[in-house]
Amino acid sequence: MLPLLSLLILIPLIFSGITFFTKNREQARVIALAGSLITLILTLYTYFVFDSSTAAMQFEEMSNWIPSLGISYHVGVDGIAMPLILLNAIVIPLLLIFTWDDVRSAPNRFYGLILAMQGAVIGVFVSLDFFLFYIFWELTLVPLFFMVNIWGGPNKASASMKFFIYTHVASLVMLLGIFGLYFGAWFQNGVPNMDMLYLLNQFPMIEGGMVKDGIFLALLFGFIVKMPSVPFHSWLPDAYVEAPIAGSVLFILLKIAGYGMFRVILPILPDTSNPTLMITILGFLGAVSILYGALVALSQQDLKRMIAYSSISHMGFVSLGCAGFVAYSISGAMFQQFSHGLIMALMFMSVGVIKTATGTRIINELGGLASKMPKLTVIMMLTFMASLGLPGLTGFVAEVNVLAFSYASVPTYVIVALVAIVITAAYHLWAMQRAMFGVYNEKLGEVNDIAMYQLVPMAIIALLVLYFGLNPNPVFEMMLTNSNQIASLMAVLGV
Amino acid sequence: MSDLMLIAPEMIIGITGLVLLIAGLFMGPTSKNVLGYLAVAGCLGALVLTLVSFGATGSLLAEALVVDALSQFFKLVFLAVALIVCIASVKYTEGNDNAEVFFTLVLFGTLGMMFVASANDLLTLYVSFELASLSTYALAGFEKKNARSVEGAMKYILMGALSSALLLLGISFVYGATATTSIPGIAENIDVLLNSGIGILAIVLLIAGFGFKIALVPFHMWAPDTYQGAPSVVSALLAAGSKKMGIIAAFKVFIVALIALQADWRMAFAALAVITMTYGNIVALSQTSVKRMLAYSSLAQAGYISMALVVLTPMALTGGILYTLAHGFMKGGAFIAVAAVVYMVMTKNKDSEVPDHLDSFKGLGKTMPITAFCLMIFLLALAGIPPTAGFMSKFVLFSSTIEAGLVWLAVIAILNSAISLYYYARVVKYMYFMPAESGERFPEPAPYVLAIIVALAGVLAIGFWPEPFVNMAMQAAEVLLPL
Repeated sequence: MLPLLSLLILIPLIFSGITFFTKNREQARVIALAGSLITLILTLYTYFVFDSSTAAMQFEEMSNWIPSLGISYHVGVDGIAMPLILLNAIVIPLLLIFTWDDVRSAPNRFYGLILAMQGAVIGVFVSLDFFLFYIFWELTLVPLFFMVNIWGGPNKASASMKFFIYTHVASLVMLLGIFGLYFGAWFQNGVPNMDMLYLLNQFPMIEGGMVKDGIFLALLFGFIVKMPSVPFHSWLPDAYVEAPIAGSVLFILLKIAGYGMFRVILPILPDTSNPTLMITILGFLGAVSILYGALVALSQQDLKRMIAYSSISHMGFVSLGCAGFVAYSISGAMFQQFSHGLIMALMFMSVGVIKTATGTRIINELGGLASKMPKLTVIMMLTFMASLGLPGLTGFVAEVNVLAFSYASVPTYVIVALVAIVITAAYHLWAMQRAMFGVYNEKLGEVNDIAMYQLVPMAIIALLVLYFGLNPNPVFEMMLTNSNQIASLMAVLGV
Repeated sequence: MSDLMLIAPEMIIGITGLVLLIAGLFMGPTSKNVLGYLAVAGCLGALVLTLVSFGATGSLLAEALVVDALSQFFKLVFLAVALIVCIASVKYTEGNDNAEVFFTLVLFGTLGMMFVASANDLLTLYVSFELASLSTYALAGFEKKNARSVEGAMKYILMGALSSALLLLGISFVYGATATTSIPGIAENIDVLLNSGIGILAIVLLIAGFGFKIALVPFHMWAPDTYQGAPSVVSALLAAGSKKMGIIAAFKVFIVALIALQADWRMAFAALAVITMTYGNIVALSQTSVKRMLAYSSLAQAGYISMALVVLTPMALTGGILYTLAHGFMKGGAFIAVAAVVYMVMTKNKDSEVPDHLDSFKGLGKTMPITAFCLMIFLLALAGIPPTAGFMSKFVLFSSTIEAGLVWLAVIAILNSAISLYYYARVVKYMYFMPAESGERFPEPAPYVLAIIVALAGVLAIGFWPEPFVNMAMQAAEVLLPL
């Protein structure tokens, strides 16, 4: 049996290394694409062999690494991780094709960083040892830092620094939480062990409600800053806007924070001293993010900035779904991560195309693009509809599950979110109307429609948005299996 | 194992130093290059010997010197740093008429540090301390015509002499009270020091003495000027090597000899650790000279290591000891990389006022790709980004703080670590995101590159395969604090 998961981490990293040493753009992009395609094939194989009916870990690999500290190399996937790996594996090669003709300085580094990022992100998703998890978690910072700082917009320096330091601080706080888990279990059992599932299982044994709450909140903080959730979101608009399109898409694929919520936060939440309070915190953060993100997006002039804020709003559904704490709301939150990855990738790509074609992203300077760019308009329309939650597209599946099934647990916040949905529809449609429809703005001069090499990857993602919108089961089932397991933890306590 | 075999590494270093000094007398400036290689061979030989004999124990000279896992671990640190410094110095001393003096001083300095690691008696400790200090005083002022170098060396010597006097005074108080200078002997006869004003006084004096070498705030005044003024290879030796000498000495004296007074000195070290790391990090933020920035960051790192004395659990000591090794590679490598940059700047522009200014690092990713890449890894390692030695050692050290229930200390350390990322990342930014003034590639001098790569290997080895290092550090920690 092949060590599938190790290969999934190693292949992008190895190809990333090779890409760094290529001499020209031609070699760089071909090798990068080859690496990402091999990763995709392996991922698809893993996905088809994957058994959706069990919540247990699959394809596990384990070997000793630092036995004196109880640290091992332990990887595995379950229904929480598999869809996200799939998302990454699908979007990265498409992203490489999308940026095929971008004229860039240092193409070897550009493509090398994309693959390094992929390896690190997959590493986070499959790690079952907290030490390994943390290493990959921190590694994801480095490629993005460089991505923004080398190829970013005018404020790239401050944006990348802000991103790096903000999320690094969050990671360190999370590390404190991990230490808490580690030593809590060590004191109880007398042996050091960094295994993630073991430590999560040991959490109830840790003595002291305050200690438990401290650990929980430290971990939660690490995740919600990265997610990001209002009020810890201020790094995001800067980083997303300043990043090049490929960087923005990579940020979108960085679903590790939401993943952490399902993998770490929810399993230990029922054992905190006051689960109801913790759920309220989650619901509150979710609802505020949804509403605040939508309101700020409404007032944006820059199309990319609008999308950045809409992303904050949409990620709020992940927290809200977690607060619902029943199988379907959690699955909805998981599905939101998957769906958001596809939709936002498409949105940023659309903005990239518009910016290249017209030289601007300011909504008021656009206008009537539909007549000149009909192909792009079709895809964009579908994307915007998916983003505002039109039935039949992925966004709807996620949001309806979250809203419908969180109501019993956090009704007030669901109502807030419902209000926000109206605003969401408003800014999407309004932006679409001003940028794409109406009278063509002659100041833009001659504008060409989307090129074929960009159209194809975008169309593929658009079709996936439609496909998973109509038939979410291929990934929803595996999510549900694990969500059931998580939700049952809460049910046992009768909270 | 016979007694002499126990100090074979020291003998190799000492004899190599003497041979170099004598051989240099009969050589012309051009043929002196070979001396550097001899010094490298000596360090390598001693290093290998220490490594293979790791775990050997014994004592000699009426227990004035003790060889155990702790002393051997620190010998490894000193020898590794000396090795890196010697390799790089092959280039630095090229064509220098006094090359043999330079290498002899480096080796004797290292010898002093190694004896400090083995010292089991306050007098041996003091004499070894002075051997290392005197050698490094001369090295810091090695560039006689460079005003900065001379000024840095002056500060170093004056402050050093003062601290040495304080140290000796502290030792005399301890001796007066316990009637012995043997480190374990002091622990047995601690009664008089306990519950008397003399104990506190001795602690204050000893902390001042060691604090100077470790560069703990407020005994750090000399460090930024000296590190900046000294030749970069010497800065590497000071920051990565002789600083650790202060740490091992403090470990021995406080944890072994004065453990009964721990209530007093732990408090002091807690305050010093917090002040030092915070001050170092905050001042480092505003530095435009990279060597000065590294000097302040070195203060911060010393603050982290001092946490081991506050937490005082086997795990904390393991972390602190592992940190010294990791820091030796990271800081040594970083200073050597800066040395390579300074060399480039001086080659291009002989009158450069501050060759290590941040501006010199612009576009280094293009002009000196190997140096720039390795320096980036060293800086990220110093900031504690995984998977590097810096992360691994911070992981053990910081987590031990949590284990001991000192969450406040861990939080302060972690916040500090986050601040430090800013100034480390800034250098990376200059190297990779800013265009160089002239874009052509500069041929990177081979000895510097080799030294940097040796350091990089150390940084990555501890990061990726920490088990053997953690085990050795644990054995060393057990000597101090038996489980």
